[in-house]
Amino acid sequence: MKRIAIDPITRLEGHGKIMIFLNDEGSVDNAFLQIPELRGFEKFVEGLPVEEIPRVVTRICGV
Amino acid sequence: MKLKIGIYWGAACGGCDVAILDTHEKLLEIADKADIYLWPLATDFKYSDVRAMKDGSLDAVLFSGGVRNSENEEIAKLLREKAKVMIALGACAQGGGVPGLANMYTREEIMRRAYIESESTDNKEGVVPLERSTAGPGYDLELPRLYNTVKTLSQVVDVDYTIPGCPPASLQIYSALGLVWDDMLPKKGAVIGAGDRALCEECPRKKSEKTITHIYRTHEKLPDAETCFLEQGFICLGVATRAGCGSRCIKSWTPCRGCYGPLDDVADQGIKMLGALASVIEPKEEAAINAVLDSVVDPLRTFHRFSLASSILRRRKE
Amino acid sequence: MTFEPKIVGFLCNWCTYTGADLAGTARVKYSPNVRSIRVMCSGRVDPVFVIKALYEGADGVLIGGCHPGDCHYLEGNYKALRRYLLLRRILPEYGIEPERIRLEWVSASEGERFGHVVDEFTEEIRKLGPLRIKESLFESMKGDLVHHDEERSAQTGEAR
Repeated sequence: MKRIAIDPITRLEGHGKIMIFLNDEGSVDNAFLQIPELRGFEKFVEGLPVEEIPRVVTRICGV
Repeated sequence: MKLKIGIYWGAACGGCDVAILDTHEKLLEIADKADIYLWPLATDFKYSDVRAMKDGSLDAVLFSGGVRNSENEEIAKLLREKAKVMIALGACAQGGGVPGLANMYTREEIMRRAYIESESTDNKEGVVPLERSTAGPGYDLELPRLYNTVKTLSQVVDVDYTIPGCPPASLQIYSALGLVWDDMLPKKGAVIGAGDRALCEECPRKKSEKTITHIYRTHEKLPDAETCFLEQGFICLGVATRAGCGSRCIKSWTPCRGCYGPLDDVADQGIKMLGALASVIEPKEEAAINAVLDSVVDPLRTFHRFSLASSILRRRKE
Repeated sequence: MTFEPKIVGFLCNWCTYTGADLAGTARVKYSPNVRSIRVMCSGRVDPVFVIKALYEGADGVLIGGCHPGDCHYLEGNYKALRRYLLLRRILPEYGIEPERIRLEWVSASEGERFGHVVDEFTEEIRKLGPLRIKESLFESMKGDLVHHDEERSAQTGEAR
């Protein structure tokens, strides 16, 4: 199948790409949104002193 | 001749990009002096456009965020080829930043927590992202490899200059860009848009002798209005951190956590902080020293809050 | 082949280094595993030196200074003690056994004692085994660069 890649998606915070698959007639067969990033805040905040958390999790998103 | 610049992000939060936007009306001057060829936060472009550029055709690239997957590394290397000058923008590009704290864990631990264990996740089948996945015949989908260890920009490409901070102060970014368009960049490798000395030089609080007998967590007592935080027993990384931020945390009654990175010729900001803190503890005798050190909570991640990926040991040993 | 520990020793000029020198002239027999680096005072030992030594291949680090009260610069050895105690707390957070670093007060006349300290520390490190931080770091980072094609065979390829 022919694949059209929109990579990267823009004008938002974060990483993403869209893969569109076309069938033989040239119509859209399927489309997928993929997020090629993970930083792991859910894990690495474990064990941090609780009063430090506000200054850490604000770095999840600066927008 | 207008400068051609590119602004890109790795494992980032967008805060550095917002800091550029926060130059407010100076953004018009930046737009006057430079054409921004790529800036995923604010304009559209595709990686295929970047690949099609001639090598060295961008005068400068500002790269924020750390390198923590294969795509971050691939694009960092691609942009290095396309840029005359590569600038590490912000604490993540310089030292790994807050996401560098992931170096205390392994890739497996992080994936498991994020996709399977976390309390608000409903994923009984245990689905995790795969690097190569087929959703069916003919669908070829890829994801970059998630690294076990977060890297800084300079650990993967040759970095010409660094603008530190989390985020870098907007006016500092503006003045650093000014060095680019005025062709007044210093010797390669320099930190620009920041001072030469420790935050203490800039800090408005009163400093005298430091003889610490107890370390207080920031909620354990109210600080007085005028005295140095460290002298009052609060851990403040200002002694081991470069000035340039305008003491914005200090002015908000919060001790420094080191986001402007180390001073020149420092191999490890966090270990430098360890040495500095230990030096000003008052007791001379082992039991009494240990009693003070018992009050230091979470030393590794406090001293290396923004710099773990750039520390000598880089990560927790597996 | 038994493992021979590599130990870096930061020894203060006035006391420990001189004591080690005495061990030499008095022909004291002791383990040859310490690589000595002379510093003017144990208080000169920046914790960065200790971490860098461990990173660059040392299995253990010894810091030698004057007995409390005897420091040539009056209080440098107390500074060394404070830094050493904080370093010992941070090493396990890095996944490194704190017993790999040791602070010892050895005076200029304690040649025999220097030998005993080195023998004892060498055996402790021998039991702990080689540290090999750089090797394990680069091994783990090499795994980050596995090509997609090699990865494919390791995965079921089932997508959702």
